Amino acid sequence: MIRTPNSAALAAAVTLALAVAVTAQQNAAAQQDGRAAAGKQTVTAYTHARILPGGKPAIADGVLVVGNGKVLAVGDATLRIPDGAVVVDCSGKTITPGLIDAAFAGGASANDLNEQSEEVTPALRVLDSLDPEAPAFARARRDGVTTVHVMPGTRNVIGGLGCVVKTAGDPTSMIVKQDASLRITLGAEPSMGNRSIGGGPPESMYYRRPTTRMGVVWEVRRAFYDAKEALQMTQGAPNASPPSEGVEILTRVLQGKLTAVTTARSEQDLRTALRIADEFGYETVIDEAQDAYLVADELAQKKATVLLGAPSAEQVGGTAGSDGASPRSGTVRALAERSVRVVVTTGTNALALPLVREAMFANRNGLGPQQALDAVTVEPARLLGIDDRTGRLAAGLDADFVIWSTDPLDPAAVAESVHIDGNPAFTR
Amino acid sequence: MNPKLLLAAILPMVAVSANCQDLVAVKAKKILTITGPTVEDGVVLIQNGRITKVAKAADVEIPWEAKVIDASDKVVMPTWVLAHSEGGMRPSNESMQNVPWLTVRDAIDPASGYFENALRNGVGTVHVMAGNRTLLAGTGMVVRPAGRTVEDMTVAANTGMKLSLLARNGSRLQQIRELRRAIAEIREYLADFERKKAEFAKEQEAGAIPKDKKFEEEIDRKKQAAVDFVEKKLKGWLYVPSYAELDEALRMTQELDLQLVLGPNIDEAKALLSKLKSPVVLDDTLEYFETDEETQKEVLHCTARLCADAGVPFALSLGQGGQTSYPWWQLGTCVRNGIDRKTALEALTVVPARLLGLEEQVGSLAEGKLGNLQILTGDPFAATTWVETVVLEGEVVYQRKDDPRLKYLFDEAAKAAAPADAPAPAPKAPEGEQTGGDNKGSEGSGEGN
Repeated sequence: MIRTPNSAALAAAVTLALAVAVTAQQNAAAQQDGRAAAGKQTVTAYTHARILPGGKPAIADGVLVVGNGKVLAVGDATLRIPDGAVVVDCSGKTITPGLIDAAFAGGASANDLNEQSEEVTPALRVLDSLDPEAPAFARARRDGVTTVHVMPGTRNVIGGLGCVVKTAGDPTSMIVKQDASLRITLGAEPSMGNRSIGGGPPESMYYRRPTTRMGVVWEVRRAFYDAKEALQMTQGAPNASPPSEGVEILTRVLQGKLTAVTTARSEQDLRTALRIADEFGYETVIDEAQDAYLVADELAQKKATVLLGAPSAEQVGGTAGSDGASPRSGTVRALAERSVRVVVTTGTNALALPLVREAMFANRNGLGPQQALDAVTVEPARLLGIDDRTGRLAAGLDADFVIWSTDPLDPAAVAESVHIDGNPAFTR
Repeated sequence: MNPKLLLAAILPMVAVSANCQDLVAVKAKKILTITGPTVEDGVVLIQNGRITKVAKAADVEIPWEAKVIDASDKVVMPTWVLAHSEGGMRPSNESMQNVPWLTVRDAIDPASGYFENALRNGVGTVHVMAGNRTLLAGTGMVVRPAGRTVEDMTVAANTGMKLSLLARNGSRLQQIRELRRAIAEIREYLADFERKKAEFAKEQEAGAIPKDKKFEEEIDRKKQAAVDFVEKKLKGWLYVPSYAELDEALRMTQELDLQLVLGPNIDEAKALLSKLKSPVVLDDTLEYFETDEETQKEVLHCTARLCADAGVPFALSLGQGGQTSYPWWQLGTCVRNGIDRKTALEALTVVPARLLGLEEQVGSLAEGKLGNLQILTGDPFAATTWVETVVLEGEVVYQRKDDPRLKYLFDEAAKAAAPADAPAPAPKAPEGEQTGGDNKGSEGSGEGN
């Protein structure tokens, strides 16, 4: 068999990722130390930059000190620069935390993200499909994205476990959080093209269900019903045999130990997503949410977080939107006015712009500049539970930051250099 | 004539019968004239559709009968000029490939959303041409995107012949061959016609035909435009989709009067680009990725930058949807690829105006030019800037506050979100002044000169 370089890389990546999945937990602490030792011992101070630290107002003449892959200090011009530090003058530049794309679709080919053998596959880990050499990672780095949340594709009703990775590094050090989320997809996508083969019997193994929106919802409901039952049984009997892995993962969602992310675009699907979550008593993040302006009050009432896919979509997706949704530019503002937490993502829209430009559109469409930037840094970090590592510029956090040529919300802005764990991941 | 009339209007002693509506004064915080210096706190006076004065407010006395448009906290600049567009027609190409007798006049739909969007984006002049999927597609025309009929909209008709090297069946050579053959056939027809004419004259000379008889045959109406084109009486607008066709395009420019319109994917033709003498029009895709076959690494290219590096002046285009339909996005794309603001602004104003032969009419704010201007909430390079008002020939043709499309996208979204029994909040589209927070980094780099 002749292997193309790509498939070899993929194979290697998958092997490594598997190895990591097994050992990561025991080795987490060791890795941390190892990386610190391997990292640069030098301390670097980036001075005279305009710093947008994330979650806080801008520092006009700021200093960022990093060393050992961590942020050591952030402050204004009065901050004392450590002796022996390498000083980089960033006059005229803007420094932000590395951006976080909370719905990044490019970590592997679409074929590798959609398992077609079953429609409910909670136990699948997207980590096993990730290709660190995928061109999308290089593009993400170029555009200032240092951390991404990758989820299984949207062809399955319950697709599996998402993970959070950095956009650079070897397959081991890339991983920030395994099993970060469980993706559920509503709407027409999971049922698209599902028909019995040649009019054959519906019980055939080739017959993929569901075929309608109701079918999709029923699959979700049945899966969670099984999980609820399993939970009740094990609670009553401590020696009961553990549930199968898929069911066990769903019980974690029911217990609030794992974040459910429900992809829903149109108004009806958004309402369904909230209703099912209510029915089984779990909380869900709403992904894509193009019609969110129509259910803004319900989202506010449920305190749901919205992963708003491609706020530029009024133009890029056309007014029809996908899956019956009708994206409108006023959505970000309608949500922000109701204090719904909005995370801006590139999502599943094939025409989405780089994340920083999507934040720019959110700003254009009515989100304040700091809010727009927080929507791709602080907010996704908080949502993904990685805010102790990245998403802001603060002492002790990973040195993930971007030096921009000008304000990142300016269409003329480019990332001049992107740093992940203190190491240059992209230099213009 | 206009300066004299204005003088008369300023002198209060003289009774003036000028219609009030014909005299418009636009007060601006900042006037980007494009060809002249930027004027802070200025006034633009427009009379009978033409600009009569652009000056500092302190130096102008606004005639009492002038209709005043107060934009004294806003930026005023000329409306954009699009040198090449296939918008406003459905569809933009005939299914037959060789149709030089057609004209876009018969296809332009004044009610098209394209023109509505053009105004929303501050476009005041559009050169509409047939689409790129063609050989010889007929003639184009220059319109203003306001008016109920094509006649209302017309600025200039019969502006050039559209040609394209876009390979329709995946075969570049076939397209080149077919285009060459199409042009050769017109030449043959013309030669045939001239030969018949010469024979007629010869026979008349010899007395075989009475002296008073005239040569009555005329050029076939279906061939007239194409004949004008090969005789260089009509400019050809040639779409060149990529580097691979550029060589052929350059050969064609040696024998025909051609304006090149370049598609993306021209980085492989850097050496050829520098041979281009006259300005080119770039299509709306300014940036594209190319994958290195050996390393599999992606490289980002920018067509505007490639042209600038080769010393070729260029005009920008706007897309019909998506981010490239926004002028600020196109300008920003230029700047982030290292092109200065002045060059970027000119590429949507004076350069396309010159290519259309309209440099005395549009593209800048100066005395004698048409009173075409747009009022912006801020810097034309900022994503948070909105077109507030568009004035064409002294007449207000667009106002953001009355724009139904923006209401649909912004206000109705806010209303839909509001509970039915609660009074709707006073919704409005975002304010223009939220420009990137406290950062003014993009300003001060100077424009105009």
